Formats: sequence, structure tokens, C-alpha cells
Amino acid sequence: MSTFGLLLSQFADALSQSALLFFLGVGLTLIFGLMRIVNFAHGALYMLGAFVGYSLAHWSGNYWVALAGAPMLVGLFGVAFEFSILRRLYRRDAHAFLMVTFGLALVLGEAVRLTWGSDALKVAAPPALSGVIFLLDEPFPVYRLFLAATGIVVAVAIWQFLERSRLGLLIRATSQNAEMANALGVDIKLIRSCVFGIGCGLAALGGVLAAPLVTASNGMAATVIIDAFVIVIIGGMGSFLGSLIGALLIGFVQVFGNYYAPDFALAFMYLVMLVVLVVRPGGLLGKEA
Amino acid sequence: MSGQFRPSRRAMLKVGLAATATVASPAVLRSARADTGPIKIGLPLALTGALGSVGQQQKRGAELWAKVQNAKGGILGRQIELLIEDTAGNPANCVRKAQEMVERRDCRLLTGITLSSEALAVVPKLAEWDSIFISSDNGDGRLTAESLVPNFFRANISGPMGTRAVSLYLRSAKLQKFYALGLDYAWGHNSVQVFEQETTKSKKEFIGKVFAPTGTKDYSPYITKIRQSGADAVFLVLQGDDNNAFLSQAQQYRLPEKVKLLTEIVDLTSIRAVGDASLGLIGSSRYSFTYDHPLNGEFVALWKKEHNTVPDTFEGEQWQCMKVFEAGIVKAGGIEAAKLRPALEDIEIESVKGKVHIRKCDHQGVQQGFMVEVVKKPGFDTPVPEVIATFPGDETTPTCNTMTFKD
Amino acid sequence: MTGATRMKGATRLICIVVLLALVLAPLGLPPFAMTLLTEAVILGLFAMSLDLMFGYTRLVSFGHAAAYGFGAYASGWLLLHTGMPLLFAVFAAGLLTGVLAIGIGWMCTLATGVSFSMLTLALAQLLYAISFKWTSVTGGSDGLAGIPRTIGPFGFAALSSKAGFYYLALGCLVGGFLVCFALVRSPFGAVLRGIRENESKTTALGYNTRLYKIAVVAISYGLGGLAGALYAPFAGFANTELLFWLLSGQVLIMVIVGGAGTLIGPVLGAAFFMLMEHQLSAWTEAWALYFGLIFIAFVLFAPEGIWGLATRLRRAHPRP
Repeated sequence: MSTFGLLLSQFADALSQSALLFFLGVGLTLIFGLMRIVNFAHGALYMLGAFVGYSLAHWSGNYWVALAGAPMLVGLFGVAFEFSILRRLYRRDAHAFLMVTFGLALVLGEAVRLTWGSDALKVAAPPALSGVIFLLDEPFPVYRLFLAATGIVVAVAIWQFLERSRLGLLIRATSQNAEMANALGVDIKLIRSCVFGIGCGLAALGGVLAAPLVTASNGMAATVIIDAFVIVIIGGMGSFLGSLIGALLIGFVQVFGNYYAPDFALAFMYLVMLVVLVVRPGGLLGKEA
Repeated sequence: MSGQFRPSRRAMLKVGLAATATVASPAVLRSARADTGPIKIGLPLALTGALGSVGQQQKRGAELWAKVQNAKGGILGRQIELLIEDTAGNPANCVRKAQEMVERRDCRLLTGITLSSEALAVVPKLAEWDSIFISSDNGDGRLTAESLVPNFFRANISGPMGTRAVSLYLRSAKLQKFYALGLDYAWGHNSVQVFEQETTKSKKEFIGKVFAPTGTKDYSPYITKIRQSGADAVFLVLQGDDNNAFLSQAQQYRLPEKVKLLTEIVDLTSIRAVGDASLGLIGSSRYSFTYDHPLNGEFVALWKKEHNTVPDTFEGEQWQCMKVFEAGIVKAGGIEAAKLRPALEDIEIESVKGKVHIRKCDHQGVQQGFMVEVVKKPGFDTPVPEVIATFPGDETTPTCNTMTFKD
Repeated sequence: MTGATRMKGATRLICIVVLLALVLAPLGLPPFAMTLLTEAVILGLFAMSLDLMFGYTRLVSFGHAAAYGFGAYASGWLLLHTGMPLLFAVFAAGLLTGVLAIGIGWMCTLATGVSFSMLTLALAQLLYAISFKWTSVTGGSDGLAGIPRTIGPFGFAALSSKAGFYYLALGCLVGGFLVCFALVRSPFGAVLRGIRENESKTTALGYNTRLYKIAVVAISYGLGGLAGALYAPFAGFANTELLFWLLSGQVLIMVIVGGAGTLIGPVLGAAFFMLMEHQLSAWTEAWALYFGLIFIAFVLFAPEGIWGLATRLRRAHPRP
């Protein structure tokens, strides 16, 4: 492989990896931005998305059904959870959220194991996306290009949603100043439910998109939760654009770093986070310091 | 004021009396149980968590054995009682549960510790607990080398043994240039090191190696590295989720078309998780239901009847391990460590994998090595590991107390 | 007024009774119960150390396992490679952790709020990565095994026995408690509470809040390191799991479920957490489900934690 070919395929790898990381991080940052909740259950929701996706794909024989359905179902679950439990905790200390999401993570993790078993499950990419294209004579999976493209599409969609739509405006307003928004007549409770649901749905989207690459497995939640936090912190908790930047940064650092300096693979993410936080304590685009 | 404290004092008295009563009884019961009563075998397994599927296999293997054995009247006329608990793969939990089995439930026979980190935490305590531990899946070479303790026995194929089988197979293969990818912890490093030594010994070219942290989700950098290396084949030392992720992604990159995939361990759970991405994979197998041996045929038939499917790697290994326990206890005429230990040393049994002989010098079970290839087979909806070569035990087992081989 | 004084007297007397029970425990409890109790004491010290940061100063640490793990590795290494007697190794390791934590505190206090928490996480994970890779010193993924309870001169032999070691751990817990108790009652503690309630106001009053924060981080990590230093010879091993973020999350939960800002609460929380996990997992494979539900229930119905519940029950039955 020529050097240019190598760099090109690595660039494409990094882009696809960043997309996955973005899906993971954006839900977490939206939830934190609005509700100041550090959602320990985020990894479990990602995992739930992968398994629900597995079942939907299995039942319908079609990956696209899973892709559309899993985020919706998990999103609805998120709304239900917010409505029934989180809603009571807003006047309380942040401790409450830490413990309740910790409990949720445990419950979801075990619920997944009880429902789908301990073995990893195969989630096949759709036939249309299972091929390869040739980047300067080297095969590159079409599925990864699909991931990168989906990442761009979803990022733009969320951006437009936040900037242009009415609900997006309300979400931004409530994130900045909930009391003021409430005083202006915004239905804060509804906004919160929506955002929590959207956040959970996005996590699930990440899970169902990742499943053809890593299978749906019980160990998924634990491996992604830290990644999600790191991305969001680097970008700045609560900042949508920050989560995008964080995802790109980590995606590129990991793909290039693990290739050129594999000994540091375990440490890269944390080193970057450390450097960013020391230089800009609130994260790259964060508001709080 | 005093009204608030009497309850506490009374409660304290009650607790004290109860505690004294509890302290007195075990001593009485203990002497009665040592010679009669059920034979307790403890399995502090990882039943949940990332390695839950391995622990569940070990559990099923042990349970079927106990069921069959108890139906035959147990061992030495005593029924077998399995103490199975979940450690979630955490060494602290494993030590605590193993200690409970020993101290509170008077169980001094242990097996089925899933993770090598858990095994390494438990092994130094075996002497203090006067307990015998027979490993059914711990592959770390050092457990029979530097870290060997008298009460540890290994009934399963170790990492070095699996690697050796692959290397022996490669001697007669056309492949010349090798790269290695292992998980970045003890087992990965250990097996890659053995492979490197063996490759050099057989005058083939070992191009390079790379290690990935456990929990890696994106294997693209490593796939690129392998492809860039110019190797004919890559030796993989991966397991569980990492193995599945790599195989899935490697197939997506069409890596097997250019570089042959060789692996240290093949199991059905992985094959099912990645499906056709496992086709053509060649590797060492610690146990395969396809191995042709009368005892294996019986075992597979029994398993099919009980579970409606064929047995997987760790189910077979655990079954073999329990058979070793059985033979040892019968030969010793009892379960006390002082009797069982010499009985297990040098014991030989005929097992589902053929002959297994526990070496006296390092307590390793000397047994055949198997090479399998994952192929499509009619009658099965996922690919299966077909045995393509076997190597005698004395060729695949390292020299005593080491992780190296004679020739 | 008098009711409040009696309440305090009541609490003190109950504490004395419980302490007496703990001291007499080795005489009455069977071996495994002693094993569990010792581990509960060690974990209790670990959780209590976090409470100083978390409950009293509102410094949420997502990396407290770094203290525990580092302490465990330090004492483990000293016991394995230098033949240092148990007592010295344990305290040396705790001290070393505290000193290291000054650096950690300095770095983490560059930020506040969630960023502070994430810095603690980053540093803890880096420590984890180091311990994983620096195989020659830490044993890598294997960790340190076979850690002895080295007997030294001056008659420390008693400490290596089961009961002896228990008294060492208990001594550390009680000693640690007294130190924390004195700290929170002192002017230093008042500043911590000031930082907790309103940091900018406290700064405006002229206090260098950052110095106080660094100090509390150092003391907190030091005591956490002492707990870890006790764990290594207790369990006989130290490995990378002791540095992992999961443990950091768990100890945070122990503090919250016990009752943050009460010192005793987190000790109870740690014992509760460990015993619950141990017993639930013996009872069913689906233990994590119930475990999670228990925490959700605590949040909904007992927000002040176990200590809060206990205090509430006592207040519900006033003296006649």
C-alpha cells in the first residue's frame, strides 16, 4: 500500500470511528446540557440499542428495521424512565442522579443478560452495505463509509434541529436558563422528557450501528461508557458541537495513535482529556470552568 | 434516656449469644462431615459480565457431570454437591467467595475460576486454605511454571500448549512469514512469545507483533498493520468480545483473502457471534465436539439430550476437569488435600479428548493438541470446527515447569 | 436544646456500644464472618475517606480508586520486595498515597464542578494504564500476588493472625474516623463546608479555597490509600481492578447510600454494599438487577441514605 493509500484509508477509518463515538457522546451531552445529569446508564442504553436492534433485525430479517426501530424503542423507554423516576429528583442533590443512573445501569445490564443470554449475538449489516470499495487498490468496507456518512447526516440534522426548530429553540433556552424559560411559559417537564428520550435514542442508535462491527454483547456497556464521558468532557459538557469535535479528536487520535504507537493505546484517550482539561478546564467549547 | 439504650443492649446480648452458638456448632458438624456427607466442589465462576458466557459454559459442564455422577451413586458412595457462585469476573469477589466456600461451607475442592486474574489471586491462598484447585480453563503458562503451588493442578490445555499445536501444524505448511496480534495482557504476551520462539525455531520468519488493549472496539489500525506487514499469516491471541470484533472487522476489510488467520483458541460461541466471518479460520482447539473418540461421542450424545445442542469448548474442558477430580478422589479414597494431592500427581485418565496424564513435576495435564479448521458442514446452521490435525501430548506440552519446548 | 444534647449523647453511647461489639467480635464470630468484617472495615475506611471530599467539600471524585489501588500496590510492593514489616508498610503506603495526591489535587483543582470530577477520572485511568503496562514493577495485568503479612521485629507477629490483622484494620478505621471527625469540627472543616455551600463567597472572605481543596484531596486520598494498603496484605494480592473506574463509581455509591457528609454513614454504606452484593450473588444470578433496584429505591425513598434512615428512626421514637 502506498503511503498516500495508507493515509487515505486511515483517514476513512478515523472518520467512521468518529461517527460512532459521536453517536455515543451527543446523547450524553444533550442530557447533561439540559438536566445536569451525569448519566451512568448511557453505556447500558447503547448496549440495549444493540440487542433490541438484534431482535428487530432477526424478527424482520431486515437491518433497516432495526436501525429505525431500536432508537425509537429505547428512546421511548428513556421517556418513560424520566417520567416515572427522574422527574421526582430535579429538586434534589446531584447525588440522586448519580445513584439512580448507577442503579439503572445495573438493572439494564442484567435485564439484557436475562433476556438475550450471556453469549454475544451477531447483527449482520444489510447486504447492500456488506461490500468493499477500493481506495487506491485496498479494500475498504462500505459499511464504514455508511457510518461516516450517517454521522455527518445525523450531526447536521441535530444541528438544524437545535438551531431551527421550535423544540430545538426551547431546548436551548431551557439549557441556558430553566427558570427563565419556565417563567416564559415553556413546559419544562415536557422538554426534559423529550431530551432524555432523544439522548437515550441516540445512544441506542450508536449501539445498533456499532453492532455489525462488534456484535451485540454483554460487555459492551462497560467498554463504551468511559469513551462517552471522555468525548463529552473534551468537547465541553452540554455542547453539541463540542461532542462532535471531541468525537473527531478521539477518533483520529485512536486510529492514528494505535497504529503508530500501539503501546500507548490504553492511555491516549486519557492523555488527550488531561491536556484539554488543563488547558481549557471546561472542555474545548464548554461553558463551565 | 436509659429507655433508648436497653433495646440496644438486649440486641447486643442476643447477637452475642447467637454468635457463640454459631461458633460452637461448626466444630461439631465439621468432624462429622469430613468422612461422610456430600463431596463439595466449589466453583466461583464469572457468570455475569463480559466473560459470563465462558463461566456459564463451565457451570453447565460441571452440572451435567455432577448430575450423571450422582445418578451413578456419586463418588465413594457420597453425593456430589456443587457450590456455584457468581464473581462477575472480579478477583476481589472471587477470593472472597472462594474463602467463604473454604471457611464457612467447608469446601476444599475448587475448580472453574474463569479469569486468569482471579486464578492468580486465589492460587497463593491454596496452601493456607488446605484446598486443591484443578483448573479447567486458566491458560496462563506461568501457573505451572513460576507461579506453581503444590495444590494447583491444570486439567486443561494451556496457552503455550495451544500455541505449540499451531506451530507444529505450521511446520508442514507452506506459510513462511508471520505476524502476531494478541490482547495486551499476560495471556496475549505469553502466547505470542511462545509463537515467536517456535517460528524462529522452525526457520520461518516472524515479522512482528502488536498488542491491543482488552475492550478495543475498532480494530482497523491493527488490521492495517497486519496488511502492511507483508505477512502470509497472522497468529491471533484474542478471545471473547475482542475476538468477535476483530474477526467481524477483518472480514469486512477482506483481510483473510490476503493474510491467513490463525488463532490460539477456537470456540463455538465466537463462531456463532461472527458467523461466516469465521470460515477458513485455522486454530488450536481446547476441545471440539467433532473430535472422534468413543468417550467424546458418548459425551456429545449426552449433551445433546440434555441441552439440545452440541457442547462448546469450555463445557468439554470442564467435563474433563471433573473427570480428573473423580479419578483423583477415587484413587485417594478421600478428599483431604494431603491425600488428594499425591493421588492426582501422575494420575492418568481416558477422557473425551483421549488420554490425559497429570504430570507430577508441574501438575499439568499432558494431552493431545488439536488443530481445527472452521468449515461449513451440512446439518449445522453455523460453521463448525473440523479437526484437521492432532499432535501427541508429549510433543505439545512444554518441558516441566517452563513455557518452552524441547525441539 | 436539651433534646439535642441528649440526642448527641445517645449517638455517642450507641457508637461506644458498637465499637465495643467490633472490638469483641473476634471472640464470638466464626472465621468467615471475621473475614467479611475485616473487609467491611477496610472498605469502610475507603468510603469514609471519600466522604471528606465528597460529603463535606462537594468535590465529586470519579477517580477515588486511584487512592485505593495505589495504596494497595505500594504496600504490596513493599511487603513483597523489601521485607518491611506489615505495620510500617501499610502506613508508609498510606503516606505515600497522600503525598502523591497533593500533585493530583493540584492538577484537578485547576478546574471545578464536573471538570474537576473528570480530571480525577482521567488521572485515575492513567494510573490504571501505567499499572497495566509497567509490568516489571506492578506485575502488569497479573498484579502482585502472594503478598505476605510480614512479621517484623518489635513483636508485630500478632498482626499477621486473622484477629490481629482485624485489629490493625479496625485501628486504622477508628483512627481515620477520629482524624476526620476532628478535621470537620475544626476551623479547617468550617472552611470546607464554606466551599461546599458557596465557594465564591468563601473566596471573597479571603480564604485560598484552592489550597484547602488540595489539602482535603491529599488527606482524603491518603486515607483511601491507607485502606488500599490494608487490602493488599488482607487479600494477598493487588491488581489493576483496584484502580479501575468501576471501583471509583462503586465507592461513590457507597458514600451516597450510606449518607454523604456524615462520616459514619459511608462506613455503613460500604458494609451494606459489600454484604448486599455478596449475599445477593449467592442467592441468584440475577443479583445485579436487585442490586440496581435497591439503589433506585434508596434514591426514591431514603435519600439521606442509611445513616439518615437510622437517625430518622431514632427521632421517631423520642424518649418518654
